[in-house]
Amino acid sequence: MPPTKQAPTRQAITLKGSTNLVTEFFKYAANTILFQRGVYPADDFHMVKKYGQTVLVTQDLALENYLEKILKQVNKWLLTGSVTQLVLAIISKDSRKTLERWVFDINLVEQPAESAEAAPPKPESEIQAEIRNILKQIISTVTFLPVIDEPTVFNILAYTSESADVPADEWVDTDPLAIEASKSQQVKLRSFSTDVHRIEAMVAYRYEG
Amino acid sequence: MPPKTPSRHRSRSETKTPLTPSLVAGLNSISFASPTKGGKADITNPFISSRPSSPIKRTTTGAINVSDSLQKQARGGVIRKGGVESRLDVITRDYVPPKPSKPPKSETKRSRSQPSRDTRDRFITSRETADDVTATLDLMTLNPQSASPGHTARLAAATGVPINHRILAYHEPPPASASDSLLSQQRDLVRPLYSRPGAQSSSTPSSSSKARRISTQPEKVLDAPGIVDDYYLNLISWSCGNILAVALAENTYIWRADTGDVTHLGEVQGEEQYVSSVDFSNDGQFLGVGVSSGDVELWDIETQTKLRTMGGHSCQVACLSWNSHVLSSGCGDGSIWHHDVRVAKHKVGELLGHQGEVCGLKWRSDGELLASGGNDNVVNVWDGRVGDVASGSRGAARWTKRNHTAAVKAIGWCPWQTSLLASGGGTSDATVHIWNTTTGARLHSLVTPSQVTSVQWSPHRKEFLTTHGYPTNAVMIHSYPSMERVAEIRDAHDSRVLWSALGPAGDVVCTGAGDENLKFWRIWEVPKVKKGKDLKDVGRSSTSSTILSIR
Repeated sequence: MPPTKQAPTRQAITLKGSTNLVTEFFKYAANTILFQRGVYPADDFHMVKKYGQTVLVTQDLALENYLEKILKQVNKWLLTGSVTQLVLAIISKDSRKTLERWVFDINLVEQPAESAEAAPPKPESEIQAEIRNILKQIISTVTFLPVIDEPTVFNILAYTSESADVPADEWVDTDPLAIEASKSQQVKLRSFSTDVHRIEAMVAYRYEG
Repeated sequence: MPPKTPSRHRSRSETKTPLTPSLVAGLNSISFASPTKGGKADITNPFISSRPSSPIKRTTTGAINVSDSLQKQARGGVIRKGGVESRLDVITRDYVPPKPSKPPKSETKRSRSQPSRDTRDRFITSRETADDVTATLDLMTLNPQSASPGHTARLAAATGVPINHRILAYHEPPPASASDSLLSQQRDLVRPLYSRPGAQSSSTPSSSSKARRISTQPEKVLDAPGIVDDYYLNLISWSCGNILAVALAENTYIWRADTGDVTHLGEVQGEEQYVSSVDFSNDGQFLGVGVSSGDVELWDIETQTKLRTMGGHSCQVACLSWNSHVLSSGCGDGSIWHHDVRVAKHKVGELLGHQGEVCGLKWRSDGELLASGGNDNVVNVWDGRVGDVASGSRGAARWTKRNHTAAVKAIGWCPWQTSLLASGGGTSDATVHIWNTTTGARLHSLVTPSQVTSVQWSPHRKEFLTTHGYPTNAVMIHSYPSMERVAEIRDAHDSRVLWSALGPAGDVVCTGAGDENLKFWRIWEVPKVKKGKDLKDVGRSSTSSTILSIR
């Protein structure tokens, strides 16, 4: 993936900056989901000001480190452009059934053709507003997602390209933890984009109504 | 460039412009949306443009610094009219595809009626334009890579081929919730504090609604000095002849409930040996005594003599259960033996199915099934047919249940529906499971606040009783199919309630605990109109006798 070709005079977001922004977004999105869906007890979370709003972030050290480790690798993949999708699956602890899949598609924004004038870089405030909207929407999904009244665990899957650099002893191939098509409902959420990445969010949940 | 590509919201509001030019002029004079800056200001800074516009619609006259001309119009009622109509526009125009190039003047009105940045629907975010939607739909069907992940996954699953990507997961599972052991422990400790008032209030109305009160005071208390405070032993038994046997360390005593007489039955021979279990035969004539050495003794109650000693077990016999002439014994090594007490070669069967000590053992009253619970958290149900098999023959469990997460000591067969079996787990489980032993299905589960040490079914009511250990030390009564709590006697003993025995009349329950007391609780009333007149008599006699002996 070539780095951005934008005019250096503008306050353009570079690939690295965009990657960090996206990684940070995943951190807060994952925390929000884990809190909202009750995967971890509510009193493990504390409030943090972020994106101009309050976000609940875990203070469970083990979980914090776990997410940190994952996101570090995701960051590397984002830099090389080899990750296409991140999935946070919420799984029933007892039956190991996948109850929800929070899907974040990662697309690379196409650079405009050479003929066209380089688009003005997106201001960070606008990106933050979009991120804020996604997080708000994740919170609002509680209103229509089925109530989970059993203990759950989560898992984070990374969809990478074949050629991706994978630390062999840390990341292992796995099944997609998919929900059977006949029992799955999907809701597309908002998206946000930087100059380099475009993140599209979606939630699929088990619904046997 | 910005004027050439106006933003969408401007375009949408363009079609209907009921505002009078004068109003537009007035609006334009408001500071936040000057038409000269137009779209650029809008795009580069969404906060400035959207912030003041979003909350106020009709209160504009007061809220923002408004020009005089506008105020004049507002007095004439023009603003209100415009406000309502612009509101209507919001609703209708979400579906209108955008049209390029529109006069910038309409934008001002638009920006007042809706946040300029967020023109999308709150839930359906992708409804940008009709064209966009169809485009994405086309992509979804044609190109698996950009399709929804569910679709991709289905496709991948159907074909069995991953679509040029790998799905990776981190090698270690996420930390368990409440991984902070101290925090979770504190939560557990705090929970009873919160539940206590609620529990009482919930139990009181349910019992009052049934016009029934269960006394929280014991009817009688017996001293049991030296009773071994061991969860795994079974030290009390109540016979149909209304005799209670209790083992106090190495001694066995019988207490006649009719008269209140206490008789010392016998003492275990040998150094540092103690009685680990007692059980009356179904006719109440004989008492089986399990000893820590592994011997099983047989005592005659009438003559108070030891009839025989049946050895063979390698370690302590923690539970016994009778089925006519067969005395089954559960041993510390996990084996269950059938002893035929009539024959010299007493061992007529061996059931191997537990990895840990057998701590709960109960024959069904008809002798068809034997249920056992072990320290390996397993509940087994065995076929009761012993038959004429040679000694050393081994049975296999009819079914095995591993739902419990702690030692299973509490085992109880339902007297009025023979297929029902209740089993309760120890401290880390604290759950009562009700099984249908015919099908092997788990019918109900009940989570209790503390370890379940014994289960007794009421013969007369659709209820059962459980006794509990630390921290509640409670005796609880639950109704059966609903699993509702009928009553709870908190802190029934000063330490964990370890054993219980149901009186022959089915009304009084005796509980024993590590605080060296035996307490008698009148839990259930014997129904008066039942044909079991003799049962009632026994019950009454037991009552009168206990009252007598108190005095």
